[in-house]
Amino acid sequence: MSILVSVLLAAAVLGALAVVAAYVLGWANQAFNVEVDPREFAVAAILPNVNCGSCGYVGCGEYAAAVAAGKAEVNLCAPGGQDCARRVAEIMGVGLEPSFPYRAVVHCAARTDQRRGRSDYQGEPTCAAANLVADVQGCTYGCLGMGDCERACPYDAIHVVDGLATVDYHKCIGCKKCAKACPRHIITMVPFKAERMLVVACSNKDFGPEVRDVCEVGCIGCQACSKHAEPMEMAGHLPVINYDAYASADQFALAVEKCPRESLLFIGKPTPADLAAVAEEPLPERVEADFQTTVDDTEWRG
Amino acid sequence: MDTFVTIVQLAIAAAVINNFVLHYFVGICSFLGVSRRIDMALGMGLAVTFVMAIAGLLSWVFTYYLLRPFAPLPAWVWHMVGGDPGVTIDLSVLSYILYIFVIAASVQFVEMYIRKFFPGLYKAFGIYLPLITTNCAILFACLEIMKQLQDPTRLWGLGEALTLSIFGGLGYTLAIVLMAGIREEMDRCDVPRSLRGPGISLIVAGILAMAFMGFAGVDRAIETTFTVLMKK
Repeated sequence: MSILVSVLLAAAVLGALAVVAAYVLGWANQAFNVEVDPREFAVAAILPNVNCGSCGYVGCGEYAAAVAAGKAEVNLCAPGGQDCARRVAEIMGVGLEPSFPYRAVVHCAARTDQRRGRSDYQGEPTCAAANLVADVQGCTYGCLGMGDCERACPYDAIHVVDGLATVDYHKCIGCKKCAKACPRHIITMVPFKAERMLVVACSNKDFGPEVRDVCEVGCIGCQACSKHAEPMEMAGHLPVINYDAYASADQFALAVEKCPRESLLFIGKPTPADLAAVAEEPLPERVEADFQTTVDDTEWRG
Repeated sequence: MDTFVTIVQLAIAAAVINNFVLHYFVGICSFLGVSRRIDMALGMGLAVTFVMAIAGLLSWVFTYYLLRPFAPLPAWVWHMVGGDPGVTIDLSVLSYILYIFVIAASVQFVEMYIRKFFPGLYKAFGIYLPLITTNCAILFACLEIMKQLQDPTRLWGLGEALTLSIFGGLGYTLAIVLMAGIREEMDRCDVPRSLRGPGISLIVAGILAMAFMGFAGVDRAIETTFTVLMKK
């Protein structure tokens, strides 16, 4: 008897509570209703949700709200790329000009042994700190190789190789974090119209002998390339590629040939031809363990 | 006057001496999760305090009238069906499910309210606001209140229950804001790599908890002070 009453009472209590709570929450849902544009949810569902911030908004949710409110362009998402922009444009009912994925490009090609006038810098091992020191390196424009970009990259897509920041284009999604981190501003975002793009891999604005004094590969401003390729022009002593006029690599064949230094480079994902060339290389017979890779490279300065 | 002293003692005990986070170690997940920046931590602390106050109020009402032994409503129903007066109906098995229900409903309510009237705060909380539902500090407050309603000779009133839940929430706010302040400073420190992240946070939390152990006995000192004052 008492058990039966307990069970029934418990069921009645919970049932009554459920009804009351449902009523109160239902009322609150109507009373505190916030009008949200349904397109905002649709856009947010398409965005890749990596919250990288390359669109200029705090996160994907805020960008979706800005797009839905008509305050932002539909093609700002770098990780989503063209496909994402097309679907967002469909939802918003706007036209979309063809856009290309922007990827980071390091405008420097000198490895440590090709740079001249480097001093024995033993300070804080960051580019930001080294950049404040006069004469840390002969070239005041080029990569310092302390890896601020490497630490800024959330996608493990840029690494300092032989003292030069090198982008891994298989991993880069174009979030601009390295470009913001570089104290010398030599990383820019380039629209990749093809898998491999031609870039001017030097930032030195000086002329001839001054460049030769500080670098073995830097651009000397000889103008040979800009005379032989239409979409190139000189900005001071440095050639600049007009990527709006960039159609194919063939436009630049002569310019690359005429360059006396190694300042015009094709970068990006390797082509099948490159991979085929490497495939013929003999593999090393015995692979030695590389203990350096297991060593923690951040030193403790207690 | 006596009630006032009890309330003050209870408030200080809940907020500082028996701090929910640093003495009972409940609510640790949000304590570590949202203590990166002081403003976020303060917002989280106040939201938890608010939910805890509502949950404490509702759980006292439900426990007092329904769940405790010799509660009026089950006794009345038992009397109405003509049961044996020597047997009591005890619904305290429902306590956990009822408290979780109450907490979840009040979190939903608070979420809708904040979303309407404080959109900035709503955006800052993100996922942590619905996660208050599973914040064990709040369930702990409800269970503490239930514990004080077991003995029919020494029942807590609504005032005591509210004091415990509000000042328990304020104690949580105090702990999480202190933690956030330390962690903001720690961002500029050179922490050994092996300890970065959760490791150093837990060490800091442990040291903070040990520091709070120093408050033990303060409630007795307050009682003595009040007694001396009243004699004058």
